[in-house]
Amino acid sequence: MQIFRYLLILTIAFSAPAVSAENYDLPILEHVFENGLRLLVIERPGDDRVVSEIFTDMGALNETPGEFGAAHFLEHLMFKGTPTLGSVDWAREKELHEQIRAAEDALIEELNRARNELRERGVFHDYQHRETTPRIDELRALIDSLNRQAMEFSEEGPMSVWYMAYGGLGLKAVTEQEYMHFNNDLPADRIDLFLRIEADRMQNSIFRNFDAERMILVEQRLDDLIWSATPYYEAMNSLVGRASMVYAPEGYANDFEQYTRRHERELYETHFVANNTTIVLIGGVTLDEMIPKVEKYFGHMERAPEPKRYQGREPLPSAEKRLIWRSGTFAPRVEVRYQIPGVGHPDRPAFDVLAEVFEAHLQAVVTDAGIDGSIDINSLVVHTSRFGVPASINIELKLADASQIEKAEHTLLAELRRLGKEPLAADKVTDAQKKLRTEWYRTAVDSGALAFEIGHFEVMDSWRTLKPYLEARDAATADDLRDLAGKYFVTINRSVGVILPEAVPQ
Amino acid sequence: MKKLTLLAIIFATPSFSQDLTHPLEMGLPESSHTRPDPAEYQLVLGNGLVAFVAEADQVPLVTLSAFIRAGKVSDKSQGAAESLQHALKNSGPSGISSGDFRAGLKQMAAEYTVNLHDEWMEISLNVPAEDLDQALRIFVGLLRSLSISDANIESAAGSVAPVPDDPEVESGQELYDGSMGEAVDRFYEILYKDHPFGSRPTMDDFDSLNADDVSAYYAKYFVPGNLTIAVAGAIDVDDINGRLVDLFGDWAAADIPEPKQMPAVKRTRAELHHFTSKNLQSWLVIGHDLPLVPVEEQAALEVMNYIIGAEHVKTRLMVETRYKYGYTNDASGFLEDQWYGPGGYTFRSVSRPEVIENIYRNMLGELIRVRNEEVTDRELFVAIGALADGTFPVRYRDGYALTRSFALERLRYGNHNKSASYVQRIRAVTKEDVLDAARKYLRPENMQTVLFDEEAFSID
Repeated sequence: MQIFRYLLILTIAFSAPAVSAENYDLPILEHVFENGLRLLVIERPGDDRVVSEIFTDMGALNETPGEFGAAHFLEHLMFKGTPTLGSVDWAREKELHEQIRAAEDALIEELNRARNELRERGVFHDYQHRETTPRIDELRALIDSLNRQAMEFSEEGPMSVWYMAYGGLGLKAVTEQEYMHFNNDLPADRIDLFLRIEADRMQNSIFRNFDAERMILVEQRLDDLIWSATPYYEAMNSLVGRASMVYAPEGYANDFEQYTRRHERELYETHFVANNTTIVLIGGVTLDEMIPKVEKYFGHMERAPEPKRYQGREPLPSAEKRLIWRSGTFAPRVEVRYQIPGVGHPDRPAFDVLAEVFEAHLQAVVTDAGIDGSIDINSLVVHTSRFGVPASINIELKLADASQIEKAEHTLLAELRRLGKEPLAADKVTDAQKKLRTEWYRTAVDSGALAFEIGHFEVMDSWRTLKPYLEARDAATADDLRDLAGKYFVTINRSVGVILPEAVPQ
Repeated sequence: MKKLTLLAIIFATPSFSQDLTHPLEMGLPESSHTRPDPAEYQLVLGNGLVAFVAEADQVPLVTLSAFIRAGKVSDKSQGAAESLQHALKNSGPSGISSGDFRAGLKQMAAEYTVNLHDEWMEISLNVPAEDLDQALRIFVGLLRSLSISDANIESAAGSVAPVPDDPEVESGQELYDGSMGEAVDRFYEILYKDHPFGSRPTMDDFDSLNADDVSAYYAKYFVPGNLTIAVAGAIDVDDINGRLVDLFGDWAAADIPEPKQMPAVKRTRAELHHFTSKNLQSWLVIGHDLPLVPVEEQAALEVMNYIIGAEHVKTRLMVETRYKYGYTNDASGFLEDQWYGPGGYTFRSVSRPEVIENIYRNMLGELIRVRNEEVTDRELFVAIGALADGTFPVRYRDGYALTRSFALERLRYGNHNKSASYVQRIRAVTKEDVLDAARKYLRPENMQTVLFDEEAFSID
């Protein structure tokens, strides 16, 4: 493989202020291979281990309505092995998978044909909801039978077991709206194992035991729904966003049965290509050593048509929206959300500072107003707090007494309006910046957490954005925060959630 | 036509140029890890105080930790440990107000925790390196001159009973966490019934406690020979060692309290303890006590537990519940030892209610199987590699990790022999050793089963 581009980029230490700036120094080394695969390395001589991450630029944003959670499900399927990892007789197993695939095609045809006959268009669904026909039953039974036969020729955990055997730790995969990543923490001199397994996973995954794994997503969904807060936050997300998939959860119960091997395969083949992939290594390895090794395992992959990146554009805000939620178990509250830009936009870093400063300030304001409640400001949408697409900043006032809801909303909105006109004291901003800086150090000291941040920024925008992002937070002033509030905290960009007790008459 | 094309792509033979050598044949090198020498990081003061200090300068942070051999059951004065924990968390050193203490922590952007266990506690203060001087002053004050008052007892008492009008008590996170957490709590209440580990202070205990009692507890256990210290971060080791001598060298040596030896638990026959819970999911905890395990048997037990259910994705429990059948997201085993008395050995799972009994049967089946059959060569190979080359080395991977590991080991055992021999002991484990460990430390006849579900099932 020819080296397409070879960049050695050492981030340069800031000159001032000394304590904060020079410690954002991230000695990231980059190499981009001819096929577009990106390798990022932080060399830590003396470390006898290496944290390894492989990021793919795909996630829930690439799903289609009706099959929410399909990206997350793909991640589960990619743990099921390959022809060379997990099969005891690939020739026979392969034949059975081909039969399963054909049966699934027939099942899809039958489901299409029978849709009007079944009238399966109810409003109320759970994961057990299903109507059927004799042909559907027959095909499902066939798939189940073929799967059981295929299982005879395969073994479970075929990839993770080798990481474990050779001292790998923390093997996990995560899929969020914008990314899927697999990571591991290995002895540095065994890095070949990571490269061998991940290259195989990326190209040759076999979706074994598909239907049993589908039920694991049901379990994980129940893990979410067991929180009484979940339905409220999901309703609030869908209120805030009108177009962007960033506001969709990782699968409703009625989505799970819709997943097909065919669709999962299409997602896999479209997105798991070299030029949509970033490897991040931090530990006792060097870039020079890693280039030939990565080339050995990934170099045969050809550059593919680059998957289209999700743009995440929202229509211009045009009106205030309101959600009234009633709950007997969830504490009364008022929540105000505003859409904000994603990472890569110059306004985005200062929102981190704004959240810190305004949270403390608003807490003091509501307390002084005699409101018994606590303020939380975050930018969490579904599971993630930072995106490369527009999302929202969420200002939540949780109350001890529902009778204060009206007063709480009035106080909160009045103060947010004021904060768009008058700056807060500079020392409040300085304190918040110190807190954010210290939190960043706590992230950066952990190789795994740092590798994730680097990969995440690469997916959101570019790994080169990370350091300027941190620096921009330090550079934000009280006037900047005022200007942000004035620009974004406007009525037409606002969504309000109000949680009332069930006892309040409707 | 499209379908045929797709099939061809799906099962295309991997590229000939792709290296798909099996991991066993890759020639991966033998482990080169050696445990660091604790003597290189150790500072011993004349009064018996032992500290471990290491540089870790990737970022400008410092962590100051103290480990004290004093916990909930160390003393006859019920509630004193909990009250002391509140003093450590909220009051801070004497000479400054509680408000100033909290403000100081906030100004430093400190991460400050006080964790209280049955037999020991841990204080940890993580701050920016620029605040090291202030943090050291606080740290010394916490260990040598803590401010203790009746208010600490009141706040500790308040945390014993739930606040009925707390709006979050019945809400989401608490509901979920509380359910598995509650199942585990119920298990230990049953296990430690009539045992000192099961004893918890009551409101009457707190009512009869005063600040002098808490101060007496503090004076008895917070003595140089009964605690260890760990300091790591962006520091100069010589500078820190000098400062520790200055700050703690004049602390008078005192009698070291003898650790309280705990009796064994009274074993009972297997029983189901059903708690009615109508929910989207059901919770299951199976287990029994874990007696004090002799060092020579610990390695085989760890290997056995790794194979059966330690927290990873390829355990026998996971295969027989999650992977084959899709019953649950997790089914794992937990070896929870104590320092001077019996711990617990539990197996836990959560699932939709209609399959929880299947999970129980499959988990129990695996616990019985591992007592009846030798594990496979591959299982043994994987477990030994995972423990010797994975979980053990990361305890020493940087200054933060190694100072904590050494400080805890020194406090618990008085030496570092256990970690020195760990890898050798793990690598020496045989299939017969695993079988012996399973037969000795897994006792189906004593398994207590805690079930949170709408309906009970039979365990016969």
